[in-house]
Amino acid sequence: MNCVLEGNAVKAFGKAIHSLSRIGDELCLDPMSKGLALRSVNSAHSAYACFLFSPMFFQKYNLGPEQGSETVQCKLLMKSILPLFRCLASIERNVERCQIQINTPNDRVKIQFFCRHGISKTHNLCFQESEALQAVFASHLCPNVLKAPARLLGEMVMHFPVSQEEITLSITPLRVSLRNYFDGGNDHMKIMYTEMSLHPDEFDYFQIGVESDITFCLKELRGLLSFAESHCLPVSVHFGAAGKPVCFSVEDMILEASVVLSTLIDSESRGPSQPAETLTVAPRTPTRCADVVPESPGEADCRKAAVLAGMELICSLLFRAMSPELGEGLPVLACCSDEEEAEEEDVMMMMRRSPTL
Amino acid sequence: MPLSTQSQGDAEQYVLVASLDNARNLSNILKAITFKDYAIFSATPNGLKVTVEDSKCLQANAFIQSEIFQEYTIKEDSVGFQVNLTVLLDCLNIFGGTTAPGVSTALRMCYKGYGYPLTLFLEEGGVVTVCKINTQEPEEPVDFEFCSTNVTNKVILQSESLKEAFSELDMTSEVLEITMSPSQPYFRLSTFGNSGSAHYDYPKDSDMMELFKCTKTQTNRYKMSLLKPSTKALALSCKVSVRTDSRGFLSLQYLVRNDDGQICFVEYYCCPDEEVAED
Repeated sequence: MNCVLEGNAVKAFGKAIHSLSRIGDELCLDPMSKGLALRSVNSAHSAYACFLFSPMFFQKYNLGPEQGSETVQCKLLMKSILPLFRCLASIERNVERCQIQINTPNDRVKIQFFCRHGISKTHNLCFQESEALQAVFASHLCPNVLKAPARLLGEMVMHFPVSQEEITLSITPLRVSLRNYFDGGNDHMKIMYTEMSLHPDEFDYFQIGVESDITFCLKELRGLLSFAESHCLPVSVHFGAAGKPVCFSVEDMILEASVVLSTLIDSESRGPSQPAETLTVAPRTPTRCADVVPESPGEADCRKAAVLAGMELICSLLFRAMSPELGEGLPVLACCSDEEEAEEEDVMMMMRRSPTL
Repeated sequence: MPLSTQSQGDAEQYVLVASLDNARNLSNILKAITFKDYAIFSATPNGLKVTVEDSKCLQANAFIQSEIFQEYTIKEDSVGFQVNLTVLLDCLNIFGGTTAPGVSTALRMCYKGYGYPLTLFLEEGGVVTVCKINTQEPEEPVDFEFCSTNVTNKVILQSESLKEAFSELDMTSEVLEITMSPSQPYFRLSTFGNSGSAHYDYPKDSDMMELFKCTKTQTNRYKMSLLKPSTKALALSCKVSVRTDSRGFLSLQYLVRNDDGQICFVEYYCCPDEEVAED
């Protein structure tokens, strides 16, 4: 693969890498005919992010002959690639063009920056070929959908301290609220409770199918919110009941980005301002989808084959339960679950965006 | 001025007296070469030279000409001593690093000769501090035998273009490789780290390149740990000259402007790493 980015696109690309660095330690580059996807998964497999840049994002986008029949995913260490894009202000000032080439024969990704004053910087990064790690998420099946203007969510989460790990998003027909979440009842006196509510009118789109409170990791989301703000893109949120994953996504003509996060299982029925103590009856280690990590490479292969089959465009994300035999009684976040619609078991669904969104 | 009245009585005893209205004009430039505790001071009627060495492979020199000082008196042709540079810098900054604009620490540096401590009189806002720092027998600095006639390649670059490269250098690389050539890539800095290799290319016609005189293609590697301290000098400088000689020895010369716009020089000499590749 050989592609060239110009001007502001380099900064946007760098910002995407910053956002992905909040998720996992590895970055997968996946050049496809529909565009270049950058993906990252955290080690617990409870957070997944994907940025897809369409060919129009690039000044030049060529897939090599070897990409015709198979997808070559390059897995890079985040700490190898993030430093190249660390200082976005300096990239904006100095970099005129960036060229990215993937050379399969010598296992190198070549990233060249052509800067002002004729100066050029060339980085040859080692990569590993990897399995296509993708989450498939049937967003059209989500009962709850929100679309928030660019700054709205960013401004809401700003009120939470940077150290806040998890937050709870609650939805009722009358309001949407965000509050901080903490587990363990020990430090009541030291915790500052923050809760803010929004009226449904604040959203560009508001659909509630089921009242729910979902608790997810805020830190992993901040990267996407920052990206959305810098590009003035509205953020869509697709979610359901607690325990099901939540997807935050943005898109415009030339790129799409989404972050899928697992949510805490809450076995109690809840009201909007549930005191945190009741959540401690849930398993102490919150159950997240893909604590179940595939043990054998064979399983990953089967999954990859299954994932690749019947693939279509636009993000498709769903967490697949990897090992049903792990932990009886531990609920699984997505699919293989009898009480859910059978369609969800058909994992290769594409997420089609409703025109109203 | 409090400082001069204090030392009126024993002025005759000092072999070296150097005064600055702004001690930062000395401390800033010394910071550019502080990578070891000890420094060799060598004063001549031309000015002050401060030398720091590392394992006989790296040498840094800071030159402060006599014209920079408000007062510079030397009674011998050459005065030399060795002091703890960290302690000296702490003393020069004794009134605290940050000062309001217009407020500066005045310095009077006095030395009576062999066996005597280096005496510093520092004054700010009417408060005077006297510091006496023990001196040692100066070691003979290594002579790198770097002379202009042996120089094969020389470039002068505006520091701005190199500052970013040096701050981004892959520190997992043990060496910094410098390639200088009359043909492509002209001037290249390369690193070979855990993630892979990186190359920074400066073409000879870049407007950051003030001088480009390369006679033959040379590639030399230098230990990253030795060159990394030079980043401080680079940060202070506005121009840098990079020269290599026929043996692959590297000379980096930095032009530094102090607070008052006066020019001082810092230079670094570095031996190439064991396997010298010349192609």
